[in-house]
Amino acid sequence: MIEGIFVEGLIYAIMALGVFFTFRVLDFPDLTVDGSFPMGAVIMAALLHKGVSPFFALFLSFSGGVAAGCVTAAIHNKLKVPHLLAGILTMTMLYSVNIRILSNRANLPLIRVDTLLTQMHELTKAILAPEYASLIFFVIVVLLIKKALDIFFITDMGLVFGALGNNEQMVRVQGINPATLKLIGVGISNGLVALSGAFAAQYQGFADVNLGQGIVVSGLASVMLGEFMLKSNKISILTLRVVLGAILFKAIMFLGRYYGYYINMTPNDLKLIAGILIIASLAAANLKKIKSKGN
Amino acid sequence: MPDKNIVMIQLKNINKTFNPETPSEKQVIKDICLDVKKGDFITVIGSNGAGKSTLFNLISGNIMPSSGKILLGGEDVTKQPEYKRASRIGRIFQDPLAGTASNMTIEDNMMITFKKGFKWPLISLNRKMKNLFKEEIRQLDMELEKRMQENVSSLSGGQRQALTLLMTVLSNPDILLLDEHTAALDPRNAAIVMELTRKFIQEKHLTTLMVTHNMTHAIEFGNRLVMMDGGEIIIDIREEEKAKLTVKRLIEMFGEIRKKEFENDEVLLA
Repeated sequence: MIEGIFVEGLIYAIMALGVFFTFRVLDFPDLTVDGSFPMGAVIMAALLHKGVSPFFALFLSFSGGVAAGCVTAAIHNKLKVPHLLAGILTMTMLYSVNIRILSNRANLPLIRVDTLLTQMHELTKAILAPEYASLIFFVIVVLLIKKALDIFFITDMGLVFGALGNNEQMVRVQGINPATLKLIGVGISNGLVALSGAFAAQYQGFADVNLGQGIVVSGLASVMLGEFMLKSNKISILTLRVVLGAILFKAIMFLGRYYGYYINMTPNDLKLIAGILIIASLAAANLKKIKSKGN
Repeated sequence: MPDKNIVMIQLKNINKTFNPETPSEKQVIKDICLDVKKGDFITVIGSNGAGKSTLFNLISGNIMPSSGKILLGGEDVTKQPEYKRASRIGRIFQDPLAGTASNMTIEDNMMITFKKGFKWPLISLNRKMKNLFKEEIRQLDMELEKRMQENVSSLSGGQRQALTLLMTVLSNPDILLLDEHTAALDPRNAAIVMELTRKFIQEKHLTTLMVTHNMTHAIEFGNRLVMMDGGEIIIDIREEEKAKLTVKRLIEMFGEIRKKEFENDEVLLA
């Protein structure tokens, strides 16, 4: 049971890293996430059913997410539409696109289909129970993605991304087109989100076009929870706390789901809880700001 | 010494009207022509609303002229967007927060501005670079070399503006635009940043335009002085003539040309 929380937390951490990239680094509140997460899941499921190799399917899921993010950024850049609206537009369109990808179905089970996880379990079944194999597998996957992001953010391009969310004028004065950077950044972010969706589909054993409903809120809640856990200006710590925040968020949701009935809570209340969690985090951050100004 | 005959900036009959064909129509730049030679250090003065900042915005491409041509180093850039021209322009604003990213460390900031133009995902910030930045930042004499890993948000306004100046100079711009870059600082820090400005411009022979509210600075610095009023250049004094200039004489000249009193008390007090 407990390893289930960790596995789910780690899968959602990949999505939370994407949300961190747009909301925190780029200062581009991107709602495409609600559409690109199920997009990753449905691309993965559809391709696995067609017998495409899981690795290649994973790559195409990622690419699909990148494309979705680029659409949002392009709408924002070219038509001067506010980022929130651009994201909502893409997200809404993706709902139809995702159903198309599943050949006009709303969901697709992955029973008796070879996924990356079943292949991995096959390899490790002699030494490890599947749930622990999954745990180790996702620890490695998330650490690799986290490390790749850490390295990316100390490259010349990554540093400019850091400046973009804070001071767009500085980036422009540097002779760099902020629109190009947003295209790349929002693209990578949604690529990660789709990757997370692709893993979620394999772990849960099905893909559903409604998988993404409210996912951006849980990603944001994870990012904010993480921010309360560690303070630093080092990028490796910033990404680490996103991962920890995602696991903590899943744990809180788990507690809500399993022990909530004592206080008459149902799983339907979880979205309410996620929202309240974000509001509480915002209020706490505000309080801290007022206090530090008072000193 | 730089070749004095190369024209770095050429403004040809520039006009700028805000909100054209509406009741709030306002012509802020009127038929301005200006040639800036390589190595020129021009101080620009004028009362509020004279069009100084608009002139800088036009040169850097932040706003586009209603008519006229802008040439940088002989190339017509009238229609070029700001980010494209920016590779040859180093611009510093009045706001000390405008030139740096506060959520990043000093060395990250220095790395971002070290090379102009698009950046690829390559790691340039190695030990050698870090040492170079440490060496360069010593020139500011603010002990910032011990704080390279600290976020810029922990620096004072004066320190941030001095850092911005250094970062801009290190990016090797063809043209330096200083938009009242010391106006938001206290007198002591303003003096330090002005002294650094003079030093860097002399060392690198930078072609510079500096807007200032401080008439003494305008006379003391540079080889050419331009006064703007109502969107026009009304006084343009160079070299020897400028060396003989005094604040009193400048205000007299303004009165003779405009048949009115100079409106800005703060420049008289300065």
